[in-house]
Amino acid sequence: MSYTSLELQRLVEPHRVHRDVYTDPQIFDLEMERLWRRAWVYVGHESQVANIGDYITTTVGLEPVVMARDKNNRVQVLYNRCGHKGAKVVTQRAGSARVFRCPYHGWTYRLDGKLQATPHACGYENTDFDIDNPCFSMQSVARIDACRGFVFACLSPEGPDLLAFLGDTALTINNMCDRSPQGEVEVAGAPLPYMHDCNWKMFVENLNDAVHPMVAHASVGHATRKVVESLPEGSPVPSEAEIISPFGGSYEFFDSMGSRTMPYGHCFMGGKGSIHSSYSEIAGYMDAMQASYGEQRTTEILSQQRHNTTVYPSFTVKDAIQIVRVARPIAVDKTLVETWHFKLKGAPDEMLHRTITYSRLINSPGSMVGPDDWDCYRRMQQSLHSDASTWVDMRRYLGRNEPDGNVHVAPGTSDESVRNQYRAWCDYLLDEAQ
Amino acid sequence: MTMDEQFSVVDLSAIEAFIWSEAELLDQGNLRQWRDLFAEDGKYWLPASWQQQDPLNHISLMYEDKMMMAIRVENFGHRLAPSMQYPLRCSHVLGNFRVLTDSATMITIKSNFQAIVYYQEQTLFAGTYTHQLRRLDNGYEIVEKRVDLINCDADHRSILIYL
Repeated sequence: MSYTSLELQRLVEPHRVHRDVYTDPQIFDLEMERLWRRAWVYVGHESQVANIGDYITTTVGLEPVVMARDKNNRVQVLYNRCGHKGAKVVTQRAGSARVFRCPYHGWTYRLDGKLQATPHACGYENTDFDIDNPCFSMQSVARIDACRGFVFACLSPEGPDLLAFLGDTALTINNMCDRSPQGEVEVAGAPLPYMHDCNWKMFVENLNDAVHPMVAHASVGHATRKVVESLPEGSPVPSEAEIISPFGGSYEFFDSMGSRTMPYGHCFMGGKGSIHSSYSEIAGYMDAMQASYGEQRTTEILSQQRHNTTVYPSFTVKDAIQIVRVARPIAVDKTLVETWHFKLKGAPDEMLHRTITYSRLINSPGSMVGPDDWDCYRRMQQSLHSDASTWVDMRRYLGRNEPDGNVHVAPGTSDESVRNQYRAWCDYLLDEAQ
Repeated sequence: MTMDEQFSVVDLSAIEAFIWSEAELLDQGNLRQWRDLFAEDGKYWLPASWQQQDPLNHISLMYEDKMMMAIRVENFGHRLAPSMQYPLRCSHVLGNFRVLTDSATMITIKSNFQAIVYYQEQTLFAGTYTHQLRRLDNGYEIVEKRVDLINCDADHRSILIYL
């Protein structure tokens, strides 16, 4: 690698970051090695592998993996690579299997990755081939753990355990699950993939960027207001308008939401109030919640209103609307964003309908919100190659955050969440030891 | 040949012409007139999964009623939308029309389409249309237009216009 620690350190200043972090393929390679292999990266939800033999395929950083439920009912995360010639063993996005069989030479693996058989095994006699040697298996990633069914993998055996890593962001995951009268969520159908022509960090940084909605999303706010105002007097506000309208909120609205940052680059916005606060009640939901939790606990659960919670680098969650978005980096200028939708078990179907409607209006490639973000990232990715300046600014409300225990609080339109991400970024990238 | 079948055969060319003109409005980027082709209870559906059954409990790329279409008409080409500051042109080719169901009031007709969309780069979309049309005295109105892309579940980039 061509970057020394000193050179890496020089890329990040307190108030600005060098454009190379978004454009240089060598930096991207270093990130995959030092950041994405050491952080806990979201893999999938246990409800996707509800039964023995169920599996899904995805990536952790650039590593193709399979998450499967093995014969002992344990969730495994395996490198999706045949121990023989290295072919990808499983190509379906999801399915169910008794064993994994490489279609090239027929090596078969148990659901926990252990090599079970190779055809015409006599050829390996008198070699040092050993069917029990893990190097011939579909190997397990170094560490797997879950929080309320959300499965994360870490490719490094060292570092904090999952709960220590998540810190206060675990409260967002807990809150999303507690919003189910049964305390559980499950994945609702296939994800919505959206290909972005930008560096993964642009997407992640934008999640807690509250200075852009009133500009980048102004048009859809105007369009929605115009149509709602043209409705006959006394018409109820359509649920779509309830969802879109806050995107045209004022700077003061987003400032008051607040931005809270914490170790490992994580952050969330909102808390007591967010863009999700003014949704109408859905019939039957409160009754179901109060029957499960009682009135006081129900109020507690529903009063937590976080906007985007970012578990750096891969996982972002909206507890109040039950949506998870996952960044899957592909190249320095290419990132797949997956949106996953969650059903609150025991809640009326209309709750899921709202989740789906939200995602279709805000996150879909065919929405009127996502494409404006998509385009802004693409503009940055293209124009950062300009030598007019080599720096990207991040100084809004610099030095004006307040500590609150392990969490730092800043105005919602602060760049503190970005600065916090780059502090974590430096911690990962400057650590050369493998 | 029964009267019903005769009716379908006679009707078909008029229905094809209606669907061609609908596609032409998209080619012209004339979403306002395009929206007028829909019934008051009309829907436009672009599923995100193969043979998707349900637009409410499963995500779609688009699923819009006339109110959402009205918002999209206002937003389309809006000077403040970053995504709208580029030329956007499309060219639709339709064929293989076949009638799925037919009655005195409603007709469901399926066709194959290819839509080439030029937006920053050129993209080829292909699949089937399923139009549910309501017969009117002077023509038809669209109760539902369902667009099944052969790559509905692929990693799409932005889709800025109805297909």
